[in-house]
Amino acid sequence: MTRSSNETWTVTIVVPEDSSLDEAGETYDLEVGADETILTAARSAGVWLPADCQQGWCTTCAARLVDGDVVHPNARRYYDEDDEAGYILPCTAKPRTDTTVVVDQYDDFLEFRAANDRPPGNSKLDS
Amino acid sequence: MSDGKEHGSGSVEPGDTSKRVGAEVIRERGVDPEELREKLIDAIGAEFTTYYYYTNLRMHLAGEEDYKEITEDARLEDRAHFELVVPRIYELEGSLPNDIRDFADRASCPDAEVPTPMDDNGGFDTSDLEVEDILEVLLEAERCAIRTWSEICDMTRGADPRTYDMAQRILNEEMDHEAWFIELLSKERDDEINPAGHFARGEPGDAPYSTNNRFNDSA
Ligand code: FES
Repeated sequence: MTRSSNETWTVTIVVPEDSSLDEAGETYDLEVGADETILTAARSAGVWLPADCQQGWCTTCAARLVDGDVVHPNARRYYDEDDEAGYILPCTAKPRTDTTVVVDQYDDFLEFRAANDRPPGNSKLDS
Repeated sequence: MSDGKEHGSGSVEPGDTSKRVGAEVIRERGVDPEELREKLIDAIGAEFTTYYYYTNLRMHLAGEEDYKEITEDARLEDRAHFELVVPRIYELEGSLPNDIRDFADRASCPDAEVPTPMDDNGGFDTSDLEVEDILEVLLEAERCAIRTWSEICDMTRGADPRTYDMAQRILNEEMDHEAWFIELLSKERDDEINPAGHFARGEPGDAPYSTNNRFNDSA
């Protein structure tokens, strides 16, 4: 068993005003451990962010990183372009600094993936 | 005469085949039928690809006949889930992607690949293929399916009983599958006894909750 690190970071979750989530317009500050995903931390704090596979594959949880640094050690589909454009997948993203993310970015992210010819962009937008 | 009959008419004109009351009643209850059917396509994309990938995983459990049989149950039941939900997608005016690559790309769960690279001859490099690694792939695939069908239950509860019923029957079987693979992986990897409460399905892939109309022996 690997020992977990005790380090925690403050992750600020911004839910946009125009989000369809019940939490639209709200902002939350969470303490997230270095070994914890942002999604798990948010859900345990009662912020039920969208997610499906929880393996960094389906992109349902897509968010935008506006400040800070995260890693995605277990994501099944996360590309360099995503990283460069500041998109993260909170279901597998773990903080490495204090971080601010804007959640509920699925639609924009699909467009972005499609523009970069990466799945599931075109396969969903063409339907 | 529909006079005075509460459900004798509604938002769809009599004889209009361009709309479906079966979709409109869901919309009236607050679920977007288009969004739901796209989610269903993603979900059964995962069931269908899992059926395919489990074929490979089961074969590579060489010599572990008990594990093979249980994987075969899960494999055939995932196919039953695909079969069960396909008609629902068409009822909601959707369709399966024409290109199977698109279908696999949009599957809501990761490909359950054999956890070893291909070798130069087109087979798998089985030199360090471990049974426990295969069981872990199986376990995580089932967990992804549980998350997916739970979301669909959440989305349809109280609004779309037909889809809800399908999703919860599938969820029952996915939870069985998770328990099976926890039992097997616990024993294989950690030498721990962690029973699933499972003995055997009747026939391989019996799918006791989810099998579509049994119109032939393979369905
Ligand atoms: S929930 Fe599927 S990628 Fe995050």
